[in-house]
Amino acid sequence: MAPAVSCCFLALLLSASCEVVTSTEQMCIEKEAKTIYNCENLGLSEIPDTLPNTTEFLEFSFNFLPTVQDTTFSQLLNLTFLDLTRCQINWIHENAFQSHPQLSTLVLTGNPLIFVAETALNGPRSLKHLFLIQTGISSLEFIPAHNLKNLESLHLGGNYISSIKFPKDFPTGNLKVLDFQNNAIHYLSREDMDSLRPATNLSLNFNGNDIRGIEPGTFKSTVFQSLNFGGTVNLSVIFRGLHNSTIQSLWLGTYQDAEDQELSPIMFEGLCEMSVESMNLQNHYFSNLSLTTFQCFTHLQELDLTATHLHELPPGIKGMNLLKKLVLNVNSFDQLCQINAASFPSLTHLYIKGNRHKLQLGVGCLEKLENLQTLDLSHNNIEASDCCNLQLKNLPHLKSLNLSYNEPLSLQNEAFKACPQLELLDLARTSLAVKATQSPFQNLHFLQVLNLSYCSLDTSNQHLLAGLPNLRHLNLQGNRFKDGNIPKTSPFQMVSTLEILVLSSCDLSSIDQEAFHSLGNVSHIDLSHNSLTSSSISALSWFKGTYLNLATNSIRIIPAHLLPILSQQKIIRLSHNPLDCTCSNIHFLTWYKENVQKLKDFEEIRCANPPSLQGVQLSDVTLSCGMTAAGIFFLTVFLFLSAALLIYTVKFFLRWKYQHL
Amino acid sequence: MTRFVITLLVWTLISPGNGSWGGGTSWPTHTACRKEGLEVLYQSCDPLQDFGFSVDQCAKHLKPNLNIRVGIILREDIRELYLDIVLISKGASVFNYSYPICEVDLPKFSFCGRKKGEQLYYAGPMNNPGFEIYEGKYQVLLELYNEKRTTLACANATVICS
Repeated sequence: MAPAVSCCFLALLLSASCEVVTSTEQMCIEKEAKTIYNCENLGLSEIPDTLPNTTEFLEFSFNFLPTVQDTTFSQLLNLTFLDLTRCQINWIHENAFQSHPQLSTLVLTGNPLIFVAETALNGPRSLKHLFLIQTGISSLEFIPAHNLKNLESLHLGGNYISSIKFPKDFPTGNLKVLDFQNNAIHYLSREDMDSLRPATNLSLNFNGNDIRGIEPGTFKSTVFQSLNFGGTVNLSVIFRGLHNSTIQSLWLGTYQDAEDQELSPIMFEGLCEMSVESMNLQNHYFSNLSLTTFQCFTHLQELDLTATHLHELPPGIKGMNLLKKLVLNVNSFDQLCQINAASFPSLTHLYIKGNRHKLQLGVGCLEKLENLQTLDLSHNNIEASDCCNLQLKNLPHLKSLNLSYNEPLSLQNEAFKACPQLELLDLARTSLAVKATQSPFQNLHFLQVLNLSYCSLDTSNQHLLAGLPNLRHLNLQGNRFKDGNIPKTSPFQMVSTLEILVLSSCDLSSIDQEAFHSLGNVSHIDLSHNSLTSSSISALSWFKGTYLNLATNSIRIIPAHLLPILSQQKIIRLSHNPLDCTCSNIHFLTWYKENVQKLKDFEEIRCANPPSLQGVQLSDVTLSCGMTAAGIFFLTVFLFLSAALLIYTVKFFLRWKYQHL
Repeated sequence: MTRFVITLLVWTLISPGNGSWGGGTSWPTHTACRKEGLEVLYQSCDPLQDFGFSVDQCAKHLKPNLNIRVGIILREDIRELYLDIVLISKGASVFNYSYPICEVDLPKFSFCGRKKGEQLYYAGPMNNPGFEIYEGKYQVLLELYNEKRTTLACANATVICS
């Protein structure tokens, strides 16, 4: 019997020790030494003793804390941010945060709160952000108001709140953001709003509440930073209710899964009686789109009509002289001229991206937009055989042009002469046909950023980048060079002002030693995702103090004479290279140990050879290499000399001994 | 006696491993729909959690704009949400697709913008195109992720069409 009992005891001991091992595996992650810790998803039922009392930022979501009381966080006195999302908290007892004067953000999202004590939030000197999303709140009385006078944002989404009326003593004076998303608010009254009068420039979110009525005068002479009534079916209720208010940004969009109701011109009548700077109507349908639809839009500065099923904007819209920004993304235009741009003479920003039909640019469709500075025509299937001077006629102030993700464009010499002030040009993922020796970007004197990634460019054209005296950032990712080699004379030699050069995923296997000799200003060069070996490193000798990305290449051995080139750079990425960890690479391995501070994501720098060290981090490798030829020579000489000395000493000793006999 | 000791030892060594979640355990396989010769099975490949999913219709001639039901706990904010679909037939990937569900400048669905920790239940249209499913067995990998490339949901689905 006794052996059986002792066996059981042994087994229990073993199982206990195993459990200890598993729990120590699940440790909080230190994101910043002594201050930021992440303990998410660990199933913890208390604060681990391992957290230092200097912790300021604690992510503790998805753990298990049914009760929060004054002792729960008592060891972490410096907390400023505490995330307790989904910790199954039922109770927050008296003085739970009494000893946390610095606490400014408290996240309680997704906890089935039964009761929060009157003094539960006392303690923090300046609690600014409180998240009570999906905590089952049905009345605002539930929130202890004692210590909330500094509150700037209050998030109450996903609850059962039906009235926004705050209790009398609730301090709303400093509130900037009040979020009531997805509640059951159907009616807003003047009395409700009275409790929010002390707040200035408030952002109020009613997204996902079906508002069916607003008492007249509720929002009278109130100033809002933003108001969101997303998903509301009947917009006329909203417009009438907002009578006489001033709103910077009004979001009235709807969703694919929301009930459809067509917008008629009558609905917008209320807009004439209020002041709105920016308005969003995404995903709505317009019935009888006509000039009367827009008669109350005259004071708008920004209008977003994303995915509003538009085929055209009627010509002759009057009074939209103030409009600065117009968003027409994801609509169904066939031709750019169908937006009738002449109606918006003050426009500075125009976005037409992701059009559902293939968009024809036409000729001079935007020529009346003399003040236009930003134009986005990406993702539109645009195809043009001679781009872009006729299409973009008379855009003298255009600074930013996005033509990325389109069908092939054919560019001639000086293709962007129509917009000489361009500072940013994005042509990513749009195939460009440029005839040999032509310079499509000629005379773009102010161009600073040029994105030509995946443009299927002919990189053997020496003149491709001619005439760009101020280019600072060039992205050539995903373009190919002949034979995978950047020769001595390459197109980017024309742009000596470059600071950022991206040549990743270009299928490169070699770079000529002289290829970069004109690029003295480069501070960031990305050569990742190529097949470069260490023989290309000598081409980088022209760079000093740069951010150098050589990740995901074919670098195996870096010989000693190339190491000074790496030493003179500021930050180097070398991850995902098949690095050699044998003695033939000992110079680099030694250099690596001394320069770890220069290397980014060093945990991904791993050995590929020898097989025994495959996948091991370089930082874990310590090699003791055999002697070199010179070493062996000196050792032999040393041994030879010692032997000679020994023989001589013995001889001398014997002679001395026998002489004295 | 020794056999008893060994059994005990083996038991003690194995038992804590069974208890730990996420380690070797996998989520059960659920049926999204089974009708008219079409069967859709799925299994969550997110080690942290399972999720619920069903389709209101199940037919070889897949209708456009199907209604679906989804229930899940969000482990991240979904101001931006993207869906990646990989269709595998006979061991080879035949279809790869990435689709934005929520974007900052275009939140397509009412649940866009929900926060980490929220419980999400969606019953509504999927806005899919209609298409014909040919006979055979398909593997479908689905992943939902946000702008930080953090996985919100992951599913290994099997579609059997006979």
